[in-house]
Amino acid sequence: MKKLAWLAVLTAALGLLWAPAVLAGEIKVGGIFDITGPTSDVGKDYGEGAVAAEKYINAKGGIDGDMLKLIPNDYAYKIPEAVNLYKKYLSVDKVFVIQGWGTGDTNALRPLVNKDKVVFFSASYDGNLTDPKQTPYNFFIGTDYSTSIRAAVKFAKDSGAKKFVFIYPDHPYGKNPIPAGKEYAQAVGLEIGPDEIVELKAIDATSQLLHMKQFDPDFAWIGGTTASTAVIIKDAAKLGLRTKFVINCWGFDENLAKLAGEAAVGRAYGMVPVAPFGADVPGMKAVVESAGGKEMSLHYVKSWVSNLVMAEGLKRAKKAGKLDGPGLVAALETIKDFDTGGLTAPITYTASDHRPNTTLTIYTIGQGAKMDKVKEVTMPREAKDVGK
Amino acid sequence: MPCGLFFSRYEKDDAIFQTTWLKVWMALLFVFLLTFPLYADQANGLLGLNLTNMMNLIFIYIVGAHGLNLLTGYTGQISLGHGAFMGVGAYTAGILANLGWPFYLALPAAGLMAAAVGMVFGLPSLRLRGLYLAIATMAAQFILDYAMRNWEGLTGGSAGLIVPSADLQGLGIDFTFDSDRSFYYLALVFAVLATLYLKNLTRTRTGRAFVAVRDRYLAAEVIGVNLFKYRIMSFGISSFMVGIAGGLWAFYITIISDEHFTMWLSVQYLAMIIVGGLGHVLGGIFGAIFFVVLPELLRLPAEALTDIYPSIFGIFASLREMVFGLIVILFLVFEPDGLAARWHTVRAYWKLWPFSY
Repeated sequence: MKKLAWLAVLTAALGLLWAPAVLAGEIKVGGIFDITGPTSDVGKDYGEGAVAAEKYINAKGGIDGDMLKLIPNDYAYKIPEAVNLYKKYLSVDKVFVIQGWGTGDTNALRPLVNKDKVVFFSASYDGNLTDPKQTPYNFFIGTDYSTSIRAAVKFAKDSGAKKFVFIYPDHPYGKNPIPAGKEYAQAVGLEIGPDEIVELKAIDATSQLLHMKQFDPDFAWIGGTTASTAVIIKDAAKLGLRTKFVINCWGFDENLAKLAGEAAVGRAYGMVPVAPFGADVPGMKAVVESAGGKEMSLHYVKSWVSNLVMAEGLKRAKKAGKLDGPGLVAALETIKDFDTGGLTAPITYTASDHRPNTTLTIYTIGQGAKMDKVKEVTMPREAKDVGK
Repeated sequence: MPCGLFFSRYEKDDAIFQTTWLKVWMALLFVFLLTFPLYADQANGLLGLNLTNMMNLIFIYIVGAHGLNLLTGYTGQISLGHGAFMGVGAYTAGILANLGWPFYLALPAAGLMAAAVGMVFGLPSLRLRGLYLAIATMAAQFILDYAMRNWEGLTGGSAGLIVPSADLQGLGIDFTFDSDRSFYYLALVFAVLATLYLKNLTRTRTGRAFVAVRDRYLAAEVIGVNLFKYRIMSFGISSFMVGIAGGLWAFYITIISDEHFTMWLSVQYLAMIIVGGLGHVLGGIFGAIFFVVLPELLRLPAEALTDIYPSIFGIFASLREMVFGLIVILFLVFEPDGLAARWHTVRAYWKLWPFSY
């Protein structure tokens, strides 16, 4: 009995201790991150970036005096868990803006977000989140996957490729951009081989690559995250494939060189929408300082920019006197050529197009496991591609 | 006044509510459950939890856990496929709802579909027992998992299937169960129905046959229990209940994807009834509460520590999983008969208090 009583006291104490105190002038932000799930290889840095950016924004005076309060939680890349967290943020914390993560859950939350009028910043740059007619409350800061995959195909074509293959995990993140890529590849006259599925948690891709070897493509798209990308590249080197890889923005970072080593040199090309951590751009100084001497990856930068843009939107919304979901949307849609200090290309949202920009930088892994810049690419921003 | 419970008729011995006190307590509990959403909001603010949401999940899991408890706790047949059977129910309900079926038809259909699938995969139970049956039902888990993920025309593949909220339009009533609070009452009804059904079933000939099959199947066969019939029936009823749970889940979360109905969910169901108490009606209830409440409670210190040390919140998130695992192990070590047994101990203590001897 004593034990039970203790338990009750302890529970009550916990509850009281951590009862959320509502302070005046505080804007709560829900955080849905993957710290322990299949995309935690890149999700961890992203989560930490969001926390660091919140601290930085608050140190700079917050949202004109209102402090941001980020409530970060792990959802382990599980859609139902994301829905649970979302409901908790809405009913308990009463948020109207959320920093979210994956493609699957962001798409899954679309109907709820629209119904509840909550602005949802995702780390998923899925093209079908860019049409305000369908998804008025979804925003993100990187070049959308569909534009990235077109840029990747174009890069392969310009490098003299004739045969092309798509490798991706069987997950919305991997699958959603594929139709745009295929359509574009066909339009530029590439021969497309059979798709290969390599899961996010794969530790071996030999069978898929052996199968791909029969078609022997010049270039292949990898739509996974860093860990599985490293597996593919290492196995490709082991099997002696001549195929080069163009990689989506979550599969290519500073860690890829460490994980894949020599195998990545001359084989990996990443479609990167942000400046890598520590790059020589004006906005990077604060980012590096916030990390406190730790070497972070470019995903940290992505998260930083996402929070920066959110803060800018909040400031404009506050000035307009409408600090809620629809008010934030209206404020964000006034953002035009927003300068992120070189961390990304200038960002523009309009009421008919939520694509932040269509510019990305192609990087490769050169000698000494360094990320070398190949070139900056700007794809045409065509109205017909909105939401695709 | 008798110093204990002495029944002079079998009907009384078998009654669901045996004493007046029990009836009073049950009535109080029922009133509490009915009025819970009214004060949930205040408690939410105080605790930092979304209690209504948690209760809804608990109710859904209670329906499913009762199902598995019937199979594993009462009939002694293990199943590692119940996560997938829940998925069958969820997808059936979701697909039918998208075809315009009202939820009160889609839910039973979900249960029936899950029951049919469960009975097919329960066929090996005729020959296999114990670990071998566990492996055979695990095969069901893998097959169904694969189907949910790759039968895209039907299930929407890995992108998931969006399900409309349950509503009463078909009855001419303009009401939609689209909020946590409204769904609470829907889920409550099903949890109560499932509990009453399980409790009642254990009192019938069928329930006794299940227990006989569990305790000594040879003896059961000798005294005339048709093993084949009762094993398959147990699989059927059990899968029906877990299918209903899946249907409720679909209408509650309104998006279903294969990644929820994995091996892990099957194991979680087993863990629920083991932690709660195998072969007790209360086992499923306690197990469901334990597995929904504990991770949420563990989130509170993680969130609070994140407030203090924001830069290492990633570690707290991982710690949460580890602490959860540790607590489950400790429970199994110190309370191997489950929470239901502990509950009986506590109740027995208070029944005689303060004159226990």
